Amino acid sequence: MSSALGNLPSSADYAALLPAFIVAIVPLLILFVDLFYRESGKWRRVVATGIAVVWLIVAAVLQGMQYPHDYAAFGGAFVQGGFSIVFSEIVIVATIATLMLSIGVGRDDQVAGTTALLLWSASGAMLMAGASNLMIVFLGLELLSLGLYCLCAMSKRPTARESALKYLILSSMASAFLLYGSALLFGATGSVGFAALAAATVTPLLALGAGLFIVGLAFKLSLVPFHAWTPDVYEGAPLPITAFMSVATKAGTLAVLARFAYAALPSDRAAAILAPLWVLAALSMVIGNLGALAQTDMKRLLAYSGIAQVGYIVTAFAGTTALGLRYAILYLAGYMFMNLGAFAVVALMARDGDAVVGLPRFAGLAYRRPWLAVAMTFFLIGLAGLPPTIGFTGKILILAASVGAGYAWLAGVLILGTAISAYVYFKIVRVMFAQVDAAHVRDERSPSALPWVAVAVCAAATLVLGLVPFTPSNVLPLVK
Amino acid sequence: MSVAPDYYVILSAVLFSIGVVGVIARRNPLIMLMSIELLFNAANLALVTYARAWTNNAGHVFAFLVITVAAAEAAIGLAIVAVTFRRMPFVDVDEVSALKG
Repeated sequence: MSSALGNLPSSADYAALLPAFIVAIVPLLILFVDLFYRESGKWRRVVATGIAVVWLIVAAVLQGMQYPHDYAAFGGAFVQGGFSIVFSEIVIVATIATLMLSIGVGRDDQVAGTTALLLWSASGAMLMAGASNLMIVFLGLELLSLGLYCLCAMSKRPTARESALKYLILSSMASAFLLYGSALLFGATGSVGFAALAAATVTPLLALGAGLFIVGLAFKLSLVPFHAWTPDVYEGAPLPITAFMSVATKAGTLAVLARFAYAALPSDRAAAILAPLWVLAALSMVIGNLGALAQTDMKRLLAYSGIAQVGYIVTAFAGTTALGLRYAILYLAGYMFMNLGAFAVVALMARDGDAVVGLPRFAGLAYRRPWLAVAMTFFLIGLAGLPPTIGFTGKILILAASVGAGYAWLAGVLILGTAISAYVYFKIVRVMFAQVDAAHVRDERSPSALPWVAVAVCAAATLVLGLVPFTPSNVLPLVK
Repeated sequence: MSVAPDYYVILSAVLFSIGVVGVIARRNPLIMLMSIELLFNAANLALVTYARAWTNNAGHVFAFLVITVAAAEAAIGLAIVAVTFRRMPFVDVDEVSALKG
């Protein structure tokens, strides 16, 4: 807001930004410390990862302490409160899990650089979680994306570079759509703040700007028909980065989409402007799951699965009800644990943590490594939406919210998508429990046991969130 | 004599359309990166025009932010193009197609 430009920010403004600021500054510390290592070695990796994890936990705790109070910092540009903090904590957990999966990936002397880029990306996603101004949305989105372009290229496989190039060009175009939409929204209202947008009268210019803005977000969320890049980029990128992308990018972008849908559109016309979004969600749920049917590479399969899962989450926004938003946040948290758990299992099956893991490698896994097969089965049950997991509870709540908001057809599509997805996930379970001659299967093991920690934590969270009679309406926040 | 803001906005829309066609139709990644710059700068033109029309400096600040981000994007883009095509005689995106969407 222009009036705020004349006032100096107070210390409370900086305190609201502190967690994201810590995550953005620590990379410099990591790079500085790394300068003192002359030769490559294990300690170089441990120190860089250790500094990152410690400071991420500090940022998470500092942020958690701000939970009860909503505070609009910097003239309303960045709103720190329950809503932004839930999304930021999801990003921080995903970043820590990514660092765990990264052990054993890449050269020891590159780890400081990749860790720094990862943290910068995470700080971008955290900025997006609190962004309440078109400028901060764009800045957060680009900070998130620019780091990811580099991280995608950080692998010896040629497909990694190809995936980075594809991601760079298509994602930049999506950013440009979002930016041009922002420019038109600024032209329609004369302000870059979301608050002024909500008070504006709807003109064709505003509707066009909102449309371009949503197309940009849909592209980043890989909603059908803007999803074509996702499987290729997920397949080419190093495994831990794929895991990070599948959660952190979605969390940051969903936070912006939710804030835009709930708090930045004139409430009487929001339903008309957002109507195409529900069609995208329906398409994603069907085409995402159908696409997953044909995949044999685990990363591609999880990419298509992610497309469908985002469809479920966006379904919860239908009708922009308060309940829907809370259920969407709950399901996003659940999806993060199920998805990161599945990625951790894949990481445990690759020697360098970055190999291509195809479906045939899972053949007979239940007889060779039973615990791993059990864990994978549990995460797949969750992703398919069966009890006793958060996948089941979350989906039932989303169904209830969308039917309650008058979008029964969307709930019907969700059930159809779930039916298709059950076939996808149980195909993997069947392969794992099939009797095969072990001599024909390549059995690799991860050099580090650390992904087991991620598997255990994710499995526990998937189970507990699904079993505890959780009433999000009392805990989870609303957009202010 | 001043030109009405509408004309600047129409020019920016034309530039944006040229950029979109450039990214979609051209196969040379360098031209595609140039087209992306065109997209960002089309938005910049619209932002600056509206900043004048509304006499709100936020649009100018936004434009400076976009210039900075676009520079970072171009630097990373050129680096990725360089590592991707280092061992290839041509620079053509159809040459890198191991991943089938």
